[in-house]
Amino acid sequence: MAEPALALVQSSPSPARAQIAFDNVALMLGGKAIINTISLDVAAGEILCVVGASGCGKTTALRLAAGLYQPTGGSVRFEGEAMRAPRREIAVVFQDYGKALLPWRTAAGNISLALETIGMPSAQREARITELLAKVGLAGHAAKYPTEMSGGMQQRLQIARCLAQDPKVLLMDEPFGALDAMTRQGLQDEMLALVASTGATVVFVTHDLEEAIYLGDRVIGLLPHPGRVGLELKIDLPRPRDQLATREHPEFLRLRRALFDFIKASE
Amino acid sequence: MRWSVLGWRLASFAVAAGIIALWQLAANQRLISPVFLPGPDRAWASLMRGFTSGDLLTKLMGTLTHMAYGWLLASIAGVALGAMIGSSKAMRIYVAPTLELLRPLPVSAIIPVAIAALGLSQGMALFVIAFGSLWPMLLGTVHGFAAVEPRLYEVARVLHMSRLAVIFKIALPSAAPDILAGMRLSLTVALILAVVCEMLAGLDGLGQWVLLSARSFRSADLFAGVMLLGVIGYVTALAMGAAESRLLRWQAARR
Ligand SMILES: Nc1ncnc2c1ncn2[C@@H]1O[C@H](COP(=O)(O)OP(=O)(O)O)[C@@H](O)[C@H]1O
Ligand SMILES: [Mg+2]
Repeated sequence: MAEPALALVQSSPSPARAQIAFDNVALMLGGKAIINTISLDVAAGEILCVVGASGCGKTTALRLAAGLYQPTGGSVRFEGEAMRAPRREIAVVFQDYGKALLPWRTAAGNISLALETIGMPSAQREARITELLAKVGLAGHAAKYPTEMSGGMQQRLQIARCLAQDPKVLLMDEPFGALDAMTRQGLQDEMLALVASTGATVVFVTHDLEEAIYLGDRVIGLLPHPGRVGLELKIDLPRPRDQLATREHPEFLRLRRALFDFIKASE
Repeated sequence: MRWSVLGWRLASFAVAAGIIALWQLAANQRLISPVFLPGPDRAWASLMRGFTSGDLLTKLMGTLTHMAYGWLLASIAGVALGAMIGSSKAMRIYVAPTLELLRPLPVSAIIPVAIAALGLSQGMALFVIAFGSLWPMLLGTVHGFAAVEPRLYEVARVLHMSRLAVIFKIALPSAAPDILAGMRLSLTVALILAVVCEMLAGLDGLGQWVLLSARSFRSADLFAGVMLLGVIGYVTALAMGAAESRLLRWQAARR
């Protein structure tokens, strides 16, 4: 205790460093401010859902997080490092699965694309492909072409290809938006189970407010013109979530009301 | 489905047989002088004679060789150039109008130029055949590369794919239907130009055979040569079709 100042420094917990950090991020596209400004930390292992009216900049924000856009102001950092380009630790699940899959490759071939790119020897690929297909519920569909699969199956396949990257972060842009309600709920639960098993961080964009609350640890609402954070809700609902019990939980209903009012006011 | 396909096959064979029968009838009735129109029997006999004496086989191989070299050269140049132009927006903007200007130019117009520059030689034939069959492939490849789904390039960026991997794993397979369609069109062009060049330059081939037969009123030999040209066109198109449906199996799944 001779040098209390030093002791203080040593005992203070190192601040939980954000895995993804938006620091006063602004983005101009075509002379228009699309994002101005977003500051945001996403912790490792967190599921962050992003909602907002159509055209408010959700996709743009996600593309900034992916490194597909460079901010024109502020900085986007991954594990403390500025994002200069996309990284393999960050996988992107695109909304339009039909366009994001290679139609000339089978399900197995599409997953193989990621494995080839990370340099996995061909002898090991087959086992890994089988494992990944099973993980997303596509066991036995390895030889099918994407066009022979339903929308839900194609999106599962895209998720499997993203998992093949062994990502630390999954960025998902309205991944279930084009699917029917039953398929969507099934995929929500599958995704939660997958994420729980891999411990990946998830940033999940959706226009479905209930989906955001159901999946997220935290929900942020964006305001349009230019895109910025207008609302942040901590979701303290017990996990594992359950399609019936969670959605009937009083806290769920309260959050839904809050989010609904926010969207209504932002339009 | 199967049965209707079989039915169409049978019908087309019946039509072909009917035409040959009519041809035989016309020849037998001497509706046209046999100097100009031999019957299918005489044409067939001439074909067999040509093969056993060996001369026709050499001519056939000559035409096939001219066609193949020109077409292959055009394929390589067309796909390489097309990929370069099609994958760059700037190149498309600057080069595409020139291509559109050159494309409708009849290849026959450049034959005199080629002869003046290269003489009546194999080189001239190679150039003319390659130049003529270049266009369908070049334009097909440009279009195919320009039409690659942009989302796929983003997938490639996220995966950190190398430039080479992007070309071979994304752009080329995506453009394959357009490229192969161009290659199929070029096949016909290559055959026509091979025959024309053989006639003009007196190169060993069916073109020369047909021309000499006509000049010396050997109509049966003439018809044998023409029939053989038809067979080349048919068989190469068939082979190309088979290659296409094999390479584009994934498209069958879409339909
Ligand atoms: N490349 C671009 N150039 C110019 N404006 C763009 C571009 N991309 C998106 N925008 C505009 O940015 C705004 C936000 O778009 P986006 O992020 O796609 O919204 P969201 O995903 O929330 O519906 C929209 O008004 C859109 O028109
Ligand atoms: Mg969007």
